[in-house]
Amino acid sequence: MLRNLIIFAAASMMLAAQNSGDKVTVPFRDPSGPKTLKVSLLNGTVSIRGYDGKDATIETAAHISGRERRPSHVPEGMHRIDNDGMGLDVVEENNTITIVGHNSSAHLNIQVPMQTSLVLRSVNGGAIVVENISGSIDANHTNGGITITNVSGSVLANTTNGKVTVSLNKVSGDKAMSFTSFNGTVDVTLPADVKANVMMKTNNGEIWSDFDIKLSASGKAPVVEDTRSKNGKYKVHLDRAMYGSINGGGPEMQFVTYNGSILIHKK
Amino acid sequence: MNCDLARLILPEYLSQSLGESQELAFAAHLATCDACRAETERLGSLWRGLALLPDTLPEPGANVRDRFYESLAAYRHGLESAPKHGFKEKLAALWPKQAAFQMAISFALLVMGIGVGYEMQREKPVQPVVGSELAQLRGEVSNMRQMVALSLMQQQSAGERLRGVSWAYRVESTDTEVLSALLTTVNNDDSVNVRLSAVGALHAFGASPVTRAAIVQSIRKQTSPLVQIALIELLVDLKVTDAAPELKRLASDNTIDLSVRERANWALGKLLQ
Repeated sequence: MLRNLIIFAAASMMLAAQNSGDKVTVPFRDPSGPKTLKVSLLNGTVSIRGYDGKDATIETAAHISGRERRPSHVPEGMHRIDNDGMGLDVVEENNTITIVGHNSSAHLNIQVPMQTSLVLRSVNGGAIVVENISGSIDANHTNGGITITNVSGSVLANTTNGKVTVSLNKVSGDKAMSFTSFNGTVDVTLPADVKANVMMKTNNGEIWSDFDIKLSASGKAPVVEDTRSKNGKYKVHLDRAMYGSINGGGPEMQFVTYNGSILIHKK
Repeated sequence: MNCDLARLILPEYLSQSLGESQELAFAAHLATCDACRAETERLGSLWRGLALLPDTLPEPGANVRDRFYESLAAYRHGLESAPKHGFKEKLAALWPKQAAFQMAISFALLVMGIGVGYEMQREKPVQPVVGSELAQLRGEVSNMRQMVALSLMQQQSAGERLRGVSWAYRVESTDTEVLSALLTTVNNDDSVNVRLSAVGALHAFGASPVTRAAIVQSIRKQTSPLVQIALIELLVDLKVTDAAPELKRLASDNTIDLSVRERANWALGKLLQ
């Protein structure tokens, strides 16, 4: 396998210098090929914006000052980019830029070319915010919201504690999508002409839409509880998952939340 | 020691072929892990049961042997004495003995042959698909669906893997390869969205005991309460009553999300109704 690592030695100096306005520029090896940005944070906020340029720029706004740490071991050919206790590795490999935050709270403002696919992971802290991107977006949070606006392509977004807000200008024809939260509302805006087969499920919330969603009777059959012999009750309840189609049907889209509501807007 | 390693060395533990240090580590793990302890007890009783079996199976008695040869001889006799009514003999019986009738039949067959040939040429564009061809075609389509589902589920992009899972809805529910890919996805996929979708796709495979056991075991492996609840609801849909003990443990486990515990309790009520 082709393994090309570009290490940014200068970056550590730049990042360690100040508390605000730290900025590092990372080029993609092949600016015209498919590009991917991966961000993985334990704590922190990440905001990603597509712009009309070739490189990725990463700005940090860490406000935590600590003593400078020495890396315990240096992997061969790797260089740690430290910022006053905020560990941050940035690696470019096969047109994929990977940013890994190790500790403390990071606040990252990232700009990438508009045509970039994103894989974003965060656990605690602020939100994941994405704007102005055209590609496939896969965002996973635990304790925070996800806001993805003004994008086209396909989106997978999941968080446990937070709201999922997605607004798509254009969807790619055959991509399946999924928008899920455990405790938050799932709020998705889709182009008016989108074609989709939708699955919607909330246990403790409501489902709203201004699309004309044709609900299908198929999917799962209603559950019949016949306890007439015991207590004279006969109950039919529909499974809470609802299936339907928008504009005649298309790729699968799932909207799931446990404690929140589901809103599907027409753009 | 983690559960995966513990499961791996469980057979050696039972056969007492582990080293002392490994055995200690294994025992320490058992003390902290209910699931592995239950598994060890379950397999342990099977193991001890196997040891109780006699080393040699009893030989069949002499009269069994005699009876077998008797019935074989009777069968042979029946075959030989049966009158020969083979296909050839039946066909020969149909053929008339007089030459004039033979001529007439030959001529009639010739006329019929020409007629049939003419008709067939006219209707050539519409070729009827015979049953076996249809079955073959169906087989090819289901193979293709399996291939698409399997290859998509291994893609780098989570969006593609999600598509793969939706293809899994279209394969036969007996397809073990797709089932095992789905189970791998449910337990290991990097994206919660893909995992959740794969749980939904497992529904069609619910008749298989492999699926039912895997759903029960998967609940604890999940980090997302959404996926845990989807698995619990699937247990209710599929009426997996064997899951009751694990649901009981989940319901009283404080390390598990409160909503998940409540759902486990709800499921318990449903299954034990």
